[in-house]
Amino acid sequence: MDFDLLLGVLRFLLATTLILVLTIPTAFVVIQMELKIIAGSQLRYGPNRIGPWGMFQSTIHGFKVLAKEDHIPDQADRATFTLAPWMVYMAAAMSMLVIPFAPGAIAADFNIGIVYFFAVLGLSVVGLLVAGWASYNKYSLLGGLRSAAQMVSYEIPLTLSVVGVVVLAGTLNFRELIEWQRAHGWMLIWQPVALVIFYIASLAEINRTPFDMVEADSELVAGPFTEYSGMRFGFFFFAEYVALFIMSGIMISLFFGGWLAPWPFPDQLDGFIGTVYGVLWFFIKTYIFIAIAVLLRATLVRVRVDQLMGMAWKVLLPLAMVNLIVTAVAVLVFKL
Amino acid sequence: MTSEVKIPDPLDLDRDEEARLRRVAGMAPERAPAGEYAGFESVGLPERPPQTEREREVYSLEEGEMLVNMGPQHPSTHGVMRLVVKVRGEVVTDVDPVLGYLHRGIEKLCEEATYTTVLTYVDPMDYLSSMHNEHAPAIAFEKLFGVTAPKRAEYIRALVVELNRVFSHSLMMGFLALDMGGITPILYGFINRDEIVDMLSAISGQRMLFNFFRVGGVNFDANDEFFSRLGTWRGHVLKNVEMSERVITDNEVFRSRTIGMGTLSGRDAIALGVSGPNLRASGVPFDIRKAHPYSIYPELEFEVITQPGGDSNARYLQRIAEIKQSINLIDQIVDKMPHGAVQAQVPGIIRPKPGRAYAAVESPRGLYSVYAISDGGPNPYRFRMRDPSFVSLQAIPKLMPGRLIADTMAVMASFDPVMGGVDK
Repeated sequence: MDFDLLLGVLRFLLATTLILVLTIPTAFVVIQMELKIIAGSQLRYGPNRIGPWGMFQSTIHGFKVLAKEDHIPDQADRATFTLAPWMVYMAAAMSMLVIPFAPGAIAADFNIGIVYFFAVLGLSVVGLLVAGWASYNKYSLLGGLRSAAQMVSYEIPLTLSVVGVVVLAGTLNFRELIEWQRAHGWMLIWQPVALVIFYIASLAEINRTPFDMVEADSELVAGPFTEYSGMRFGFFFFAEYVALFIMSGIMISLFFGGWLAPWPFPDQLDGFIGTVYGVLWFFIKTYIFIAIAVLLRATLVRVRVDQLMGMAWKVLLPLAMVNLIVTAVAVLVFKL
Repeated sequence: MTSEVKIPDPLDLDRDEEARLRRVAGMAPERAPAGEYAGFESVGLPERPPQTEREREVYSLEEGEMLVNMGPQHPSTHGVMRLVVKVRGEVVTDVDPVLGYLHRGIEKLCEEATYTTVLTYVDPMDYLSSMHNEHAPAIAFEKLFGVTAPKRAEYIRALVVELNRVFSHSLMMGFLALDMGGITPILYGFINRDEIVDMLSAISGQRMLFNFFRVGGVNFDANDEFFSRLGTWRGHVLKNVEMSERVITDNEVFRSRTIGMGTLSGRDAIALGVSGPNLRASGVPFDIRKAHPYSIYPELEFEVITQPGGDSNARYLQRIAEIKQSINLIDQIVDKMPHGAVQAQVPGIIRPKPGRAYAAVESPRGLYSVYAISDGGPNPYRFRMRDPSFVSLQAIPKLMPGRLIADTMAVMASFDPVMGGVDK
């Protein structure tokens, strides 16, 4: 028996388990941030009873959903109704595999990490569509169709904006991409247009305000999640916050140098200390962008469905195309 | 030795009734519904054959259309209202508002009550403008009974009524944003409301259903706590309003959601009977306070504000302008307020001479009026209230067709209906 192979399998199993477990505290922290930041902008206190600064509020919420009755409507399609939350959650959890937390702290260091990420994250739309269809509810159906339309439309500018980055760095591997940024400066200097497109499209992709068409509570009650209760609803909820974390994490890896520290600090250290140092910077940057997304939610109203689609096809897509062509020509001409 | 006992069905269900009960219970209809119900199986609507041409039109579906029941339990129907929305994909093709879920028979209750106690029943009608609800009957009964309230009472009435208008309009700003997914402005609206409600509870003793007006005056004189709270509030209210304005007025997404949405021309608005801020937002300068002055409004200086647009954004801007106007009016009222009694001499049980009286006030939602007939007894023979939000709702089915589902709630919120008043 090849010892290296065994070690590799063990390492993979350990990494996937860790990532799966990591989704839970991640979601809790993001929910807590959302509760507190929105409360702040609304001149409220927010949760302040359970634990210091109400820190365990979302934990309690988690246990609460576990204890709730798990109801399946009579006319729902039981098999798909049960499967849908799992699909959405796994799409989020699986895409977490390639997130580069720090040098040596990537669960799966694929050489096609970027392709894998967008392929897997796109799976969640299937879960939402299935949830909307299986619920046997008109709001769910409308929400499911909205999610399909929205996520499929925004995936195109989202991916195209990243192609510019890939062309420039010449790699699909997140680790090499960050090493490239270490040598040449953060990608945001090279690809500012791509950054703007990516940010807008990523908000739409993970259904955050102002693009939360899918579960527009004042129109569609809760969209595809209307009929869900208990832990099935909890999984949707989890997946949403994990997706927010992942999108912010991927954005800082693509454009803000991932685990690299900003200028006055040494940008990378060696050994185990280097890993901790990288993780630290990764989380600081990621949570800054999560906070921005939460502030947007507290500030903006929701765009309408036709405005949303118009923006994807009439503005973002052409812009992403132009950006990609200009980048490609520049790479050819200047031999970057 | 079990003998099968057949329990006779007390309801003696016929075919259609059975199908209806099955649907209500969430079961699939065993037999295909007959006749008038054909085509409704998947909708669960209506529960009886259509009664009118209009109903037949709404409930008959073409290929690709679907009926969606918005309410009575829905996050944004402003109380318990049901909108039966006919949609083709996301596009609304027809809307049928179904009312009556909050009907409490207040008119009948008032006809059973004495003139003094009527004023306690009208409070919960339009629960965001309780002071206006009391103002109109108080004026009508004073006309019937031939009594005039003292000057100071009239000033206090105008003061509390304008305060009520301010908080009602600031809540409307919040609800409008909330129905479009903006979660913050509603909290700012409630901060403003809370301060005013504290003030009004200092003067009347209650926070929501004030029960403050009396025939021939008001219940209590304005006390020190009221004026102290009023002064504090007046010091920062404009800053508060500006804060909520900053979140929504110039917000690009908000503007694109409201400009050109639900445009109601002045002519249509008059034809539909729309009144108040909604009418003035369509460019018609009609304000009861100017057109048919009551109370002390002839003594105050103000212009009728209008907006040219007639769309949701104009209705929103109209509210903002009226908040500022009301604050200006409050300044004038406090400035001119005389001393004296706040209650005229009125017997315990009022028995007006037979006759009829009409009184209209400008409530935050429009023309709120009361028509009372006396037959000489201790209670009104007939007591009729015209609620402005009931009339405003007529505009909704007219504005909806061709819009998206997302706009139904946004446009409805811009009319600011309150179901307590609609259903009475």
